Amino acid sequence: MSETTEKVENSCDARRRILNIAVSTVLLETGFSSSDKMALETLTEALQCFFTELGNSARGYCELSGRVEPVLGDVVMGLINMGISIQGIEQYATRPNRHVIQPLQQAQAPRTPAMLSAGSKAKPGIHIPLHLPSLPDPHAYIRTPTHKQPVTEYEAIREKAATQKRDIERALTKFLAKTSETHNLFNTEDNQVFPLIACKPTFPAYLPCLLPTDQVFDFDELEYHFQVANRTEDLPADKKDQSDNEGENGADNENANNSQSETQDIPSASSPERSKT
Amino acid sequence: MHMSGSSSVINMDDDNYAGHALADFLLQLENYNPSIPDSVVAYYLNMSGFESQDPRLIRLVALAAQKFLSDIANDALQHCKMRTSSQMNQSKNPKGPKEKKFVMTMEDLVPALQEYGIQAKKPHYFV
Repeated sequence: MSETTEKVENSCDARRRILNIAVSTVLLETGFSSSDKMALETLTEALQCFFTELGNSARGYCELSGRVEPVLGDVVMGLINMGISIQGIEQYATRPNRHVIQPLQQAQAPRTPAMLSAGSKAKPGIHIPLHLPSLPDPHAYIRTPTHKQPVTEYEAIREKAATQKRDIERALTKFLAKTSETHNLFNTEDNQVFPLIACKPTFPAYLPCLLPTDQVFDFDELEYHFQVANRTEDLPADKKDQSDNEGENGADNENANNSQSETQDIPSASSPERSKT
Repeated sequence: MHMSGSSSVINMDDDNYAGHALADFLLQLENYNPSIPDSVVAYYLNMSGFESQDPRLIRLVALAAQKFLSDIANDALQHCKMRTSSQMNQSKNPKGPKEKKFVMTMEDLVPALQEYGIQAKKPHYFV
């Protein structure tokens, strides 16, 4: 005689498993030797629903009569309401071949081992309830600084700031001298002894502020646009006005030729500088 | 689904007697342990709001549940026996009453549950 106890894969509810075992016990007593998994689950579900329904209706009857604690009569009424007969319960209780399940042992909750406890914990004051976690180890109250206290003297700080500023400036100028264009004081061949960072004045100096370049990602393309796309020498007169309104913001038609010559100056001024690098 | 005795007055005495008998029976329940542990039953009852400090009441509920299950199982066993006896008669088994092992299947369980008003339907497919 084998009892098929199913492994409940997805339900980690221990109570459900116990119900499964109880149902299997009842089936064994009745005379079955094995059972379908689905049948077992159906009966377990029916059992769970039975308890829920009986609890609900018994509570309902209990509260209906103005009580809070249910009594035997409430349970009897609940059973009758569900259609379960209570006639043969006594005979059933005293039947000869009843199986009894072993009483369950309560599994101990896994206690975290007391690791590295140094010293004894302080007793909580009387204002702290006992069910709260205990206070930490006494070393939790010791404060050890992790770094030295910084110097707060005025002269030391001023000196430190000045040294830092000087070092930054020197390093930055060295870097620029090595990477960008240099200008030599002495009129000899390329002398790396005293390089100066070359100063590149642009004409006119206010022009970069006037031209909006925040949306320019590729300066070569911008140059191309100014040089080639805005060329209007070959176009007939009516198309000249259209292209001028595109290129300049708020340019008048009378100043069309002047603005054209200006836009052609700028690319020519910048191109000799670019050829140096 | 009401108990048959509640309709006529004559049978009310039986119910009262049953009620008294149960009250006496409750006293006997102190030493009796049904198959379903008390804590599990109490948990499910608590879920529905039924809390009782009296363990005998919990045991009565557990016993009623057990009886309910055993009634269904008995009905299913009758179905199973009817089916196997008819099969045995048809197959003319020379071994006679072959194995007495009965397997509870859904085919036996569903009609047994239906007599109690529980409709158990198999799903057409598994998801």
